[in-house]
Amino acid sequence: MSVLFYIGALLIVIGGICDLFGALGLLKFPNFYVRLHAATVGTIGGAVVPLFGVALLALGADFLPHRYAIAGASFITGIIVLLAAPAGAHALAYAAHKAKLVEWKPKVDHLKEVRE
Amino acid sequence: MSLESQFFLLMKFVIPVYLLAFIIYAVRAFKGPTIVDIILAVDCLSFDVAAFMAILAVYFKSVYLVSGAIILALWAYLLDIYVAKYLVSREVGA
Repeated sequence: MSVLFYIGALLIVIGGICDLFGALGLLKFPNFYVRLHAATVGTIGGAVVPLFGVALLALGADFLPHRYAIAGASFITGIIVLLAAPAGAHALAYAAHKAKLVEWKPKVDHLKEVRE
Repeated sequence: MSLESQFFLLMKFVIPVYLLAFIIYAVRAFKGPTIVDIILAVDCLSFDVAAFMAILAVYFKSVYLVSGAIILALWAYLLDIYVAKYLVSREVGA
């Protein structure tokens, strides 16, 4: 059972590194549409991967009381974030384009061509 | 070395990385130029606090922290959808 513990610990470490890189990208990138890429790294790599890691780690840890409840709840939270984060980011990008909030210089703008 | 002491040794390295990421997200949330930047930063912050609460549930050996994580993930999605709705219908911002 300790194999599951070590896989979960590895996933938590990978999630922490992805989280830090996503935060740095969100701080340093120039405009909103480029920052969405860093936000994807920060949510999928930084929240879904450590949640699945916590699920595997809690299944493998024998010192933990209520470990099946913690594993199941964190697995469900991981699936919720995996479904909700891309849908929310897509709705936010569509709203920013629709309300013309962000100044940027695109080569092509397919969404504007479709609207007209 | 038992599994429990290995876990606490791992947390000694992982928790500062997460706290540093939270601070950088909070900087972007405070100084974001437009409203969508602020919402995106708060969104990332909420999902990562949800993941960190699941880690803390193992750290403190408590089940109740994980139920808060589920509510936090759903709340961030709700915030996205409502702000996008009001921006598209041009009632706020623009």
